[in-house]
Amino acid sequence: MSRMSREDRMLFYSLLPFASIVIAIFITLFISLVENSIPVLIREGINFIVSSEWRAVEQDPKSEFYGILSPLIGTLITSIIALVIALPLSISLALFMLEYAPNSIRFVLSNLIEVMAGLPTVIYGLWGLFILAPLLRDYVMYPLYRYLWLIPLFSAEPVTPTTLFTASVVLAIMIVPFMTRLIVEAYRAIPVKYKEAALALGFTKLEYCKTMLSLARPAIIAAALLGWGRAAGETVAVCMTIGNSFSLTLSLFKPGYTISSLIANQFPNAEFYHYMYSALYGAAFILLLIGLVVNSIAMILLVRWRELIHGDR
Amino acid sequence: MEIDKRIVLDKVFTAIIVMLAILALTPLIWIVSSVVINGVKAIVKAGIDILFKPPTSPLSQSLGGVGPALLGTLILMALTTAIGMPIAFFTAVLATEYPHTILAKAVNIVIRTLLEIPTVLIGMFVYSLVVVPMGRFSAIAGAIALAIVLLPYTYTYIESALSSIPREYREAAFSIGLTRIRALMKVFVGIARRGILAGMLIGLAKACGETAPLLFTIGGSTRVYFTGIDQPIDAIPLLIYRYALTPYENYHALSWAAALILISIYLPIFVIAKVLIREVEM
Repeated sequence: MSRMSREDRMLFYSLLPFASIVIAIFITLFISLVENSIPVLIREGINFIVSSEWRAVEQDPKSEFYGILSPLIGTLITSIIALVIALPLSISLALFMLEYAPNSIRFVLSNLIEVMAGLPTVIYGLWGLFILAPLLRDYVMYPLYRYLWLIPLFSAEPVTPTTLFTASVVLAIMIVPFMTRLIVEAYRAIPVKYKEAALALGFTKLEYCKTMLSLARPAIIAAALLGWGRAAGETVAVCMTIGNSFSLTLSLFKPGYTISSLIANQFPNAEFYHYMYSALYGAAFILLLIGLVVNSIAMILLVRWRELIHGDR
Repeated sequence: MEIDKRIVLDKVFTAIIVMLAILALTPLIWIVSSVVINGVKAIVKAGIDILFKPPTSPLSQSLGGVGPALLGTLILMALTTAIGMPIAFFTAVLATEYPHTILAKAVNIVIRTLLEIPTVLIGMFVYSLVVVPMGRFSAIAGAIALAIVLLPYTYTYIESALSSIPREYREAAFSIGLTRIRALMKVFVGIARRGILAGMLIGLAKACGETAPLLFTIGGSTRVYFTGIDQPIDAIPLLIYRYALTPYENYHALSWAAALILISIYLPIFVIAKVLIREVEM
C-alpha cells in the first residue's frame, strides 16, 4: 500500500466503501444464518435432520418440534432425478449443436438456449403447473402406477398432478439449457490439436464424439454438479409443482416439500411460533452448506481440467 | 465387416443424439409458445387495461389488469439499478485496478459464493435485516434483495470487461502521464463500455424475473399502486406465482398475461446485452 502514489491511494480509498459493502453483506448474511440457526440446532441436535416430525404448536414452545428429514430428502430426490433426466439430454443437445446442426440452426439454437437458461424460473413453474403436470399425471404417472406399482417409487396413486415427480421433471427441463451451455463451453475449450488428431485418424462421428466427451469428462461432471446445485436451490418453480406437503415416502407420485419450498411456504407463518423461524434458518443453512460443498467440488474440477487440457501447450 | 459395424454404430448414435436433442428442445419451445398463446389470449380479452388496471375480483367476468404489479416491477428495477450498479461497478474497478490487495481477493471469493446462494436465502436475510427492523414490507427491502442477486452477475461481467483491456492500452495510458483515476475515466471505461453495459443489463434481466427474493420482502397487494419506497409494493413475478396457485380461472389467465409481459421485459434487455458482448468478441 505504501508503494502507491498519493492519487493511487486516494482512488483506492474512495473505492473501498463499495467493496467493503460487498464483504459486509456477505459476512452479515453468514452470521445471520448461523445465529438464527443456533437455537434449533442446540435444542434438537441431530434430530433436526434425522427426524421427519414437524410439530408447530402456537402458544406452547415446549411441544414444538421441527425435523427436516422429509424436505431434505425431497430436495435430494427431486434434484437427483432432475439431473438424471437432464444430463443425457444436455449432452445430446450440446453434441447436436456442435457436430450435427448446420450453421444457421446452430445460431438459432445457441440463442434459444442462452435465453432459456436465463428465463425467470417462475415461468417454468407456471408452465409446469398448468401444462405439464396434468399431462404427466395422465400419460406418465398413472401408467407407471398401474403397471409398476410393485416398485416402491411408483407405489402411490397420483391423486394430484403436482408431485415430487412433477417437480423433478420441471427442474430437469429448467437445468437442461444451463448445463448444455456449460458443456458447449467445455467442448469448445478442447484444443484444436486433439480434434485434428481425432479427425486425422479417420474416426467416425461416434468415435470422434466419444473421444471429445472423454477429454471433457471432468468439465461435464462439473456441469452436472452445477446443474444439480441449481435444481437443489430452486424455489418458485418447485413450489408451484411439488404440491407442498409433508410426507416421508419413497413414492414419487405424492406431493412433497424441498427445503426451499418449505421455506417459501412456512416462513411467512414462522413468527407465530417460537422455534419455527430458527428451524427454517437451520434448514436454509444446511441447504447452503450442501450447495457450497458441491459447487466447490465443481469449481476445483473445472480449474484442474483447464490446467490439464491447456497445460501442455 | 469391421467397417460395416462402425458405420452402423455411427448411424445408431446419430439417431439417438438427434432424438434426445429434439426431446430436450421440445419443452423449451413448448414453454415459450404456451406463454405466448395463453398470454395473448388473456391480453386480447383484457385489452389495454391489462397494463394499467388492478385485477378484478376472482369470479368476475372481466379480467382487469396487472397494473400495480407492472408498476411495482418497473420501480423495483429502477431502485435495484440505483443500489446495485454502483456497488458492482466500483467493486469491479477496485478488483481490476488493485488485484493484489487482500480486499480484491476477498471480493472475488465472496462474489463467487454469492452467485451460488439460493435466492430464497437472500429473501430471508433481507427480511431479518431490513423488514423486521422497519416493521413492514417495503419496495426498498425488495430492491436491496434484488440488488444482492444482481451484484455477482453484474460484477463478473464488468470485472472481465475491465480486465480484458489489452496491456498495451493500459501502458499507453500511464506512459502519457495519466494518473490511474484519469486513465480509468478517460480510457479504460471507454474501451470496456460495451462489456460494462452488458453486465448491467444481464444483472437487470436477472433481477426483473426473480421471485424468491421478493417472497418475504415486498409483501405487496395486487391492488395497491405505488405509495412510497418504504411501503409494500407488488411485482410481476410474485403475481404470477401467487395467482397461478389460486383456484380461479381469471387469475390463471392474468398470470399467463403477466408471464408474457415479464418475457417482454426480460427478452429485450437480455438480447441487447448479448449483442453488446458479441460485438466485443469480434
